[in-house]
Amino acid sequence: MNKFVKGIAVAGLATAMSQGAVAACGDVTIAEMNWASAEFMANVDKIILEEGYGCSVELIPGATLTTFASMDTKGVPDIAPELWTQAVEVPLLAALAAGSLHSMNPKPIMGAGEGWVVPGYTLANHPELKTVLDIIERPDLFPSKEDPSKGAFVGCPAGWGCQQVNANLFRAFDMEAKGWVLVDPGSAAGLDGAMAKAVNRGDDYFGYYWSPTAMMGKLNMSMVDFGVPFTEMEHWTNCITQAECADPKQSAWSASEINTIVTDSFMKNNDPKAAAYFGKRVFPASAMGAMLVYMGDNQAGGEDAAIEFLMNHEDVWTPWVGVQAANLIKKSLN
Amino acid sequence: MEFLDKFPDLGRTTLRDIKKSIDFAFREFSNQYGEAIEGFFDPLLYFMVWFEKLLTNAPWPLMILIFAALAWLGARSIPIVIGTIVSFVAIGVFGMWEDTMATVAIISVATFVCIGLGIPLGILMSRSNRLQAVVTPVLDVMQTIPSFVYLIPVVMLLGIGKVPGLIAVCIYAVPPIVRLTNLGIRLVDKEVLEAAEAFGSSYRQKLLHVQIPLALPNIFAGVNQTIMMALAMVVIASMIGVKGLGVPVLRAVSNQYLALGLMNGLAIVALAVIFDRVSQQYGKRLQKHRQGGHGV
Repeated sequence: MNKFVKGIAVAGLATAMSQGAVAACGDVTIAEMNWASAEFMANVDKIILEEGYGCSVELIPGATLTTFASMDTKGVPDIAPELWTQAVEVPLLAALAAGSLHSMNPKPIMGAGEGWVVPGYTLANHPELKTVLDIIERPDLFPSKEDPSKGAFVGCPAGWGCQQVNANLFRAFDMEAKGWVLVDPGSAAGLDGAMAKAVNRGDDYFGYYWSPTAMMGKLNMSMVDFGVPFTEMEHWTNCITQAECADPKQSAWSASEINTIVTDSFMKNNDPKAAAYFGKRVFPASAMGAMLVYMGDNQAGGEDAAIEFLMNHEDVWTPWVGVQAANLIKKSLN
Repeated sequence: MEFLDKFPDLGRTTLRDIKKSIDFAFREFSNQYGEAIEGFFDPLLYFMVWFEKLLTNAPWPLMILIFAALAWLGARSIPIVIGTIVSFVAIGVFGMWEDTMATVAIISVATFVCIGLGIPLGILMSRSNRLQAVVTPVLDVMQTIPSFVYLIPVVMLLGIGKVPGLIAVCIYAVPPIVRLTNLGIRLVDKEVLEAAEAFGSSYRQKLLHVQIPLALPNIFAGVNQTIMMALAMVVIASMIGVKGLGVPVLRAVSNQYLALGLMNGLAIVALAVIFDRVSQQYGKRLQKHRQGGHGV
């Protein structure tokens, strides 16, 4: 028992000494959302905060809505590195106005967005398909497995923020009458699996997806232009994203809003330099895409990818942190 | 010291190459045979689509009547029949009729597939100790491996939908029926078998007229367990695109819709209780009849 306690004390001392050089930052919890780019970002943030600013970071796994609810009500986790804000728009705006949450970075990833996708070869084989409006006239190209007389449009898994939007746009474009069924893939694994299986076989496929993702790059999927403009924001938030939407209008997918959100207690209690880091941290689309393909090809988790990124993309991340922090981080990688 | 501190693993590169080559091999396999395997399951898919449509499109009073009649045939108990009717009416009133019918459809088909595969396998296992030694660990794996692990290859091979869902359900639900069929036949009294042999029974006659009838209570316990485990997989199956009560549960889980989750969860429980009571009572009645006949 005694030995055990001593062991802990020694370990604690060692950590304390290794961090002695930097200002105390304290305990920080970061949400590690359950998709690749968010896992990667959470781990990059973890390493940078721990090594560069001396924070003690704990990652908390979660999904968009659950994590946000916990941040909003309990103030834990402190940081959501990649929060897709449209799913939680109303309560988020309220929390931002009340000052219990803070927006640190309204565009942490360049070129990110959601939409409807088809494989690149579908567009190549059928050059007449230019927009969603053209595709929805051709359900015969995308036959549903369960009822081959209908076309299958693979929507969002049950419970995701986008499920409602897909269902409403499906109605707005009158797709049921045109001979489509809306397929619920059930989960992220189901959605990825359905798309990967179709593309590996060379079948045509039409469904919802988003970028930046390794799937989009690896399978060479193309996001299709909707052929109609974005409806006004008011209709989008009050009708298309809602379950009770009597008369959804045709619309393109709204430009995506991703934000890095932190709690008020993080702003107050932790190193202000660490908070400033989040404001500068913008992943270029190319670096993000490369890391996601790396994760997919090597079956790497967020932590492996974060280390790989910090080692090979110094030019990207060093401007985000101060010189002192950058040196500490580089030292820790070796 | 370093040797002791850190487990001498294969190293990141080797491990990655191993994982990559396995994945690549499976992808090749899926490209080559995926379509053929899918074609093999097509009749089953069309049957399942047809069966689900049949259940969802049939008039609800007729369906409740059929369920009540089945409960009566199985259990011969008025309380259970009343419980069945009340449960299904409640399910309908709370707007879960269609999802429940979809769930009943896939669970019934899954149960029949499991019984059709499981009982013969159990019989074979009871005949051969060597086969038992091989199959038992396989059953252990099927019951304990996290379902998400086999969902990945199943989805890569067959996509999402009813057939992959059925396979996922059966992987989890088939072991009890195999185990209990095997056990039941092995537990049949040696003396009874000797008596049967003394009367000159053939191998077939011994199996069909002595061993299986005497093992029926155990086999029925297996059927009962298989149904229960199939119901336990409803939510997992919905994660790969199977319609039914699992879909609203998933929606509830990710959105913290307490009431929605509870209602659909309770509907699954109601189905489980009905199936359980009816099949248990049926098993008991089989046993009672036999015991009475032998005057035990």
